[in-house]
Amino acid sequence: MSDEILSVDGLQVAYTSGRRTVEAVRGVDLSVPRGGIVALVGESGSGKSSVSQALVRRLPENGSITGGAIRFDGVDLTRVRERTLRRIRGGQIAFVPQDPNASLNPVMRIGEQIAEQIRLHAGMSRADAAKRAVEILGDVGIPHPEVRAAQYPHELSGGMKQRVLIGMAWSCDPRLVIADEPTSALDVTVQRRVLDQIEQLAETRGTAVLLVTHDLGVAKDRAQHVVVMQQGLVVDQGTTADVLGTPRTDYTRELVAAAPGLTTRRLEPTLEGDSPAEPVTHRPLLEVVGLRKTFAQGEDTFVAADDVSFVVPAGQTVALVGESGSGKTTTARMAARITQADGGLVLFRGKDITDLRGAGLREWRRSVQVVYQNPFGSLDPRMSVEALIAEPLRAFRIGSRPERARRVRDLLDSVRLPSTVAERLPAELSGGQRQRVAIARALALQPELLVLDEPVSALDVSVQTQILQVLVDLQAALGLGYLFITHDFGVVRQISDHVVVMRQGRVVEQGPAERMLTRPESDYARELIEAVPGAL
Amino acid sequence: MIRRLLRPTTLLSLLIVLIAAVMALAPGLLAPGDPLAGVTGDRLLAPGLAHPFGTDALGRDVYTRTVHGAFLSLAAATAAVLVGGIAGGAIGLVCGALRGRVGTTVDFVVMRFVDVLIAVPGILLALIVVATLGFGPWSIALGVGLGAAGSFARVMRAQVLRVRGEEYVEAAATLGVRPLTVLGRHILPNAMRPVLAMAALELGTAILSVSTISFLGFGVQPPSPEWGALVSDGRDYIATAWWLTVLPGAVIVCVVLAVTRLARVIGVER
Amino acid sequence: MTQAGTSPRRALVRIARMVWPRLVQFVFVVWATYTVTFLLIRVLPGDPVLAALAVQSGDATTVDPEQLAALREEAGLAGGLVAQYFSQLGGLITGDLGTSLATGRAVTTMIADVVPGTLAIAGLALGIGIATSLIIGFLAYISPWRWVRDLLVQLPPLGVAVPAFVTGLILISVFSFTLGWFPASGARSSLGVVLPAITLAFPVGAIFFQVFSTAIREAEQSPYVFTADVKGLSRLAVFRKHILRNAMLPSVTSIGLLIGFLAGGTAVVETVFSRDGIGRIVVAAVQARDVNVIQGVIIVVAIVYALAALLVDVSYPFIDPRLRRQAANPGAAAPAAGAPADAVPANPSGSAQSTQTGSEDAR
Repeated sequence: MSDEILSVDGLQVAYTSGRRTVEAVRGVDLSVPRGGIVALVGESGSGKSSVSQALVRRLPENGSITGGAIRFDGVDLTRVRERTLRRIRGGQIAFVPQDPNASLNPVMRIGEQIAEQIRLHAGMSRADAAKRAVEILGDVGIPHPEVRAAQYPHELSGGMKQRVLIGMAWSCDPRLVIADEPTSALDVTVQRRVLDQIEQLAETRGTAVLLVTHDLGVAKDRAQHVVVMQQGLVVDQGTTADVLGTPRTDYTRELVAAAPGLTTRRLEPTLEGDSPAEPVTHRPLLEVVGLRKTFAQGEDTFVAADDVSFVVPAGQTVALVGESGSGKTTTARMAARITQADGGLVLFRGKDITDLRGAGLREWRRSVQVVYQNPFGSLDPRMSVEALIAEPLRAFRIGSRPERARRVRDLLDSVRLPSTVAERLPAELSGGQRQRVAIARALALQPELLVLDEPVSALDVSVQTQILQVLVDLQAALGLGYLFITHDFGVVRQISDHVVVMRQGRVVEQGPAERMLTRPESDYARELIEAVPGAL
Repeated sequence: MIRRLLRPTTLLSLLIVLIAAVMALAPGLLAPGDPLAGVTGDRLLAPGLAHPFGTDALGRDVYTRTVHGAFLSLAAATAAVLVGGIAGGAIGLVCGALRGRVGTTVDFVVMRFVDVLIAVPGILLALIVVATLGFGPWSIALGVGLGAAGSFARVMRAQVLRVRGEEYVEAAATLGVRPLTVLGRHILPNAMRPVLAMAALELGTAILSVSTISFLGFGVQPPSPEWGALVSDGRDYIATAWWLTVLPGAVIVCVVLAVTRLARVIGVER
Repeated sequence: MTQAGTSPRRALVRIARMVWPRLVQFVFVVWATYTVTFLLIRVLPGDPVLAALAVQSGDATTVDPEQLAALREEAGLAGGLVAQYFSQLGGLITGDLGTSLATGRAVTTMIADVVPGTLAIAGLALGIGIATSLIIGFLAYISPWRWVRDLLVQLPPLGVAVPAFVTGLILISVFSFTLGWFPASGARSSLGVVLPAITLAFPVGAIFFQVFSTAIREAEQSPYVFTADVKGLSRLAVFRKHILRNAMLPSVTSIGLLIGFLAGGTAVVETVFSRDGIGRIVVAAVQARDVNVIQGVIIVVAIVYALAALLVDVSYPFIDPRLRRQAANPGAAAPAAGAPADAVPANPSGSAQSTQTGSEDAR
């Protein structure tokens, strides 16, 4: 009996739509030792999800395995009959899917969703399986499991749902669990607990785990072996220490350098040409005092922000950090005068702009601009890049047509995009390129402050660093102030001068980045920092 | 887009629609004969070389009558969709654009009336219009258009509300673009696409409605040809002369299928 | 903490609070229907009373003004607009739908007389249509061959594209005249409902199938079906327990649409098969320019449609657990069910969003 529970040999997966075929996996070799944890790492488009789905032979309808072998405990899964596969699925190989909010049947009770699997593989009676399901819920750390078992998925939080899925996976004591990005949809503190749970179950039951992730920090924390994929091929693999300590390829090196959890350095502006004409004085640009906002949800009221105060100095970056529900987005929107505050003040350059309306508000918009999170959502899909960037200029009737065209080209330059991009539509650009366009557009009116709402969260890690570098360079050249909203402490490390930590609508702690990142005073801030995977 | 157009079923649909257009606008090209002229000696002939669709009870060539009947059927249906689309689209646009800005009452009340246009089956609405206004293809067009206006209003409003929630619309406001400009440059163009796809589908439905009401006897006055009326003419002879009902019926089905197919192709784009 | 203290009284209050707004809406829609038809008749150019009289006397040239005035009075089309509106409205509330211009009978009686015939056909058509769709939907799902699936999916557009009068006539030609299995007309034998019902079952089934198969396809491609598959469940079990239950939700909503369609379809079918029913009296009314009868029928249809929509709306929380108010969960978001759908048809299963925060995760 070999000590490998899973051995993949030259796996090839392709997708066909119409007459076109895309090879997503082009010959992948990997193995998982019995009881070991292997991390399969790659960015979007690397093919890692295709590999994980191929292992359970559950590819989307237009996908198929076009070559290679998958040996599970000696049996080649690519050649067995459907009936055998069904016995193996859920019983010997289990899967923890990615999105907890969509991966549970919304109209079936939680307990039943676990019980049906137990009845199938362990042959238990209905009553026994139901009881076992409640036990499993308790095993994965869900309080009041007998109550939760009778509830429906929408009544549980995201973290709880992910635990249910984990419990489901381990319910029939499988020998291998494939976890496909099991924590990407969760807050960072919850992520940590969920990964702890997976590690604990793997250890106590001796289960092998294939952990698919895009986060090298997670791989470092949890796995003994790492397999790095890029564009359908394995480019690096070995023990975690080896791969991360002495990367064999440039790509891996790039990934390691870009992983927010693994780096400590703050990005410095790349000095090209002359430094800015006047030294930037860090006078306060934007100040919010005691901001308050409540939302009505049916009969309940929900306090999104309560007594929030901080200052954004010119030429510096204030990172507004928190998990979902912390109120950071609401606060930023109030600061940018998109949402009306229920109480408190917003001051810009000392002037009270809290109740500014109409033409005055519109005029003020020239000083403060917004960059949104979703690079596709914030650009009108029907407009060319040129039209998009020139739009604010047109709105304020700035310059003639040729002057505007010239300005667009300058702006594209400043975000390091070639001028050929000007005629393209957003759909033809990558996520990183679109975000650069959004930044260029925000700079068109020469604002003094940018409010950036999670501008890099939707991008691949290697692209993230590039965009952040662009932002840092622009800040140095133009003396811009940034109010930077993020949930990712790795990103905070890379770009911030001041950090404001929020939780459930209130400011928990704030201070200079140096101190906040090394010696936070509050427990919550400390928890957030320690929860970053791969944290040093 | 081009590749999608080249699929065999889509090409076929395109061909059928083009033929239908020619039938409507230049019937003489496809059927040089006189649709009103009948040779009594040639009553009720089965389809053959001289008469591809056979002849009717008055000896008239059914093929020629079908070709010449296309104009009224298609024109009335097109008019119905235009009326419904413009009226309904305008209502939907106004309701969707103003909702929340001037409160929600106006939107609520107007949409309840739109609900009526949708709750009442299109045929019944059209019939009450025809009964009041008088018979004829243009009354039918107005009646059918009224029913369609309800669906258009609802879809347009839903699209406008959807686009209003998109980030790029909010972004435009923060960039300093004036509200009316946002409406015209961002909201309307992005909301239109699904509405246009729906218009194409409604055309198919309108053709069916128009021919149904004509079948019931409320369309053109004889002897003018119109598809529904042709089928109705053949009703009494169904046991002996099947071609009088089946062949014009088949033409209706083919055209409606073709229009619907093209509508789906357009709608799926992007 | 699933149901907090379900005393019967609390449950009743909860149901009442849910039903009340829908009831108001129901009344509003009926009133609005009345108003719309009222306006249509009086605002559109053309004098239906004059035309009705002309039809009766067979000659449009000379019309006795006294007769005309009397008919106008009888039909409730005399006097000022506002007066007419309210008097007719008053009649409506008491169940009086006015007087027929052509026959002079009470419209309510006319309709009540023929409703059973229509209900028989409509009910049978609905049943056959839905049953057939479900069967085809299931076959399409379990079929291991892609081409069978593609073929089956092509059928419904055909069902909608063929007009009912063509289908009806063809069915008569084949099954009545050629084969002699079913009667071509009249209500003498109870078999007479079969062909008309089948004629209407085609488009009804097709429309339902479109909604149903789209819902199935959406469910098939959803992550929770992926989860069910990798648990090792058989295809049949996945279909029955996961896909079907979720696909029923939007399908049930489409019933309102179907009822509306059926009401219109009876006009054609009853004409083709010479059966008595509300469709037939509407057609006769149009011929006689008898607007009161048409208005009466429209109002009745609107009432039935609104009632069906009300029942569907009220039943929704029983089918979809996400729409039930759970007192035990402050963070759970109930998606906006209520008001008539903005998109046709409503799809609550697609709009449920969880707003749970990860920090609620207790340890």
